[in-house]
Amino acid sequence: MQTAIQLTLTSLQIGAVYILFSLGLTLIFGVMRIVNFAHGHLFAVSALVVAAAVPWLASSGLPVLPAYLLAALAGIAAAMALGLLMYLAGFRFFQRDMVGSFILSIGLVLLLDGMLLKLFGGAVRPVPEIFPGTISILGAAITIQRFALCIAAILITAMLYVALTRTKLGKALRAFSIDHEAAMLQGIPYNRMALAGFMIASGLAALAGALIAPVTIVSPVIGADYLIKGFIAVIVGGLGSVPGAILGGLFVAAIETFGSFYFDPSSATVAIFFLVIAVLLVRPKGLLGHG
Amino acid sequence: MDDLKLPYWLGGLVLALAGTALVRDAYIASVVNLIAIGALTAVSLRFVMLMGELNFATAAFVGIGAYTAGATLTILGWPFPLALLAGGIGAGLVSIVFGYVTLRTKGPYFLLIGFAFTEAVRILYSKSATLGGTSGMIGIFPPVALDGWMPTFIVAVSALLILGLYALERSDFGKILTAIRDNENVARTVGLDILLIKIACFATASFAAGIAGSLHAFANNVISPGDFSFLVAAFALAYVKVGGEDSIVGPLVGTVLLVVLGSYALGLGGGEHIFYGAAIMLAVLLLPRGVTGLAGGKRPQAGGGH
Repeated sequence: MQTAIQLTLTSLQIGAVYILFSLGLTLIFGVMRIVNFAHGHLFAVSALVVAAAVPWLASSGLPVLPAYLLAALAGIAAAMALGLLMYLAGFRFFQRDMVGSFILSIGLVLLLDGMLLKLFGGAVRPVPEIFPGTISILGAAITIQRFALCIAAILITAMLYVALTRTKLGKALRAFSIDHEAAMLQGIPYNRMALAGFMIASGLAALAGALIAPVTIVSPVIGADYLIKGFIAVIVGGLGSVPGAILGGLFVAAIETFGSFYFDPSSATVAIFFLVIAVLLVRPKGLLGHG
Repeated sequence: MDDLKLPYWLGGLVLALAGTALVRDAYIASVVNLIAIGALTAVSLRFVMLMGELNFATAAFVGIGAYTAGATLTILGWPFPLALLAGGIGAGLVSIVFGYVTLRTKGPYFLLIGFAFTEAVRILYSKSATLGGTSGMIGIFPPVALDGWMPTFIVAVSALLILGLYALERSDFGKILTAIRDNENVARTVGLDILLIKIACFATASFAAGIAGSLHAFANNVISPGDFSFLVAAFALAYVKVGGEDSIVGPLVGTVLLVVLGSYALGLGGGEHIFYGAAIMLAVLLLPRGVTGLAGGKRPQAGGGH
């Protein structure tokens, strides 16, 4: 029983990050119908800036928590700036062009891979502990850092969910993902909405990067692994569907955690792949996909 | 069947083969091998693009071909020609099963599942002790008689397959593929079995990708899981996009251009990734029809429907 609780908690922690990732991917796909492989690099830039700035700020005399918050702000700002640049210089011209936008994003991936490696070096960067200690929930131990990450991710997801279902902007974004032409006929300004959707998604990736930096080892290639899992999560859930992204993120995280515990991590990754194939065999557009 | 412009192709082939026969420098030989194998991979990727799907599993099938060739030669002791062929057939067979399941999906789903497949297959190699785990397989040597003739052999085999895919593209089968790309449902109304045709196209392209993998294994003598990441498909895509996807000449031009420039850039100490990334981005932003599109004048057909 205790193992089950521990494993469930671990899946929730990993799932929280996958959800932030897959929400961004599904939002971009829903509104602009593009597949952005460079999404993982927004996450990596944010995590790298945090990992570089926290030790630097801490050594100049700031306590760890304010140093982390400042670094997180800088990381998110840097990643959002990169996102804006990607949109303005590239993706703006490839809206509703799946193949074109994908090829552009592969070019961006290679370019940013090389540039991040040159800028930050290939070495991994540890971030000092922000909240030391562990707490226990129902007998299962969890570090306070990971617990805080989990809470933050749940809060962000909840806020986004409310924003997408209740606010005018959110309704407009969802309208575009359901029927692009009908939404335009209602007079919703498409270009502004596309930019908004892309920037919200960039912000989610940046937040995820800033949150994950203290609990993991940061390196320039950190985005790739999360990106693959995030994409698998949206395929399972259905591209363009917000509840699908949440469901898919939890599904991938659960299989990964339970599979790694009872077998080993690489078998778990292979198992995820075969389960995705099984889902697609039954529902070619994912569990909750439409259109 | 349309005019295949065979005299031009044969002339080009003879020139290319005569050129490779003169190659004695080991470095130039390795660049020639890279070009031939890269061109075959790019043409295989483009063959599936004819029916409107972007096939990132190409990288996985190049890997399956290389590992099948390596395993049949070094473990089972098969002779060289059989091992070479086994690479293509192995990749083709796996692609039939994979395609039967995944070709029911389209667009982003197919693309992403191919990407995930590449990563899953790579994990399988690195977990298999028989296949050498993460360090890979060694000692995949071609017969001694081919010593010094490897570039000529690789160019000849690649050219043969590329020519075969070209002939298929110009045949009625190629027209069916274009029809599927333009509107699958219209093609279905005239009684075509769409899934079967898609699998046939996919398996043919994967056979070519598998042979490219075999050739890679024999050219390098050593293979490891790291050689067959999604980057194989990403580079092939760069060759297709930079060269231009409208005709089969595009990927050939793109491959020669990027591999030669890339080898030069590496000599300058520049990062290979930055170079390829910038090339892809510039090509899609500034030359949507590639280098051959600049020379070709008008687009042969209205293809803006996707």
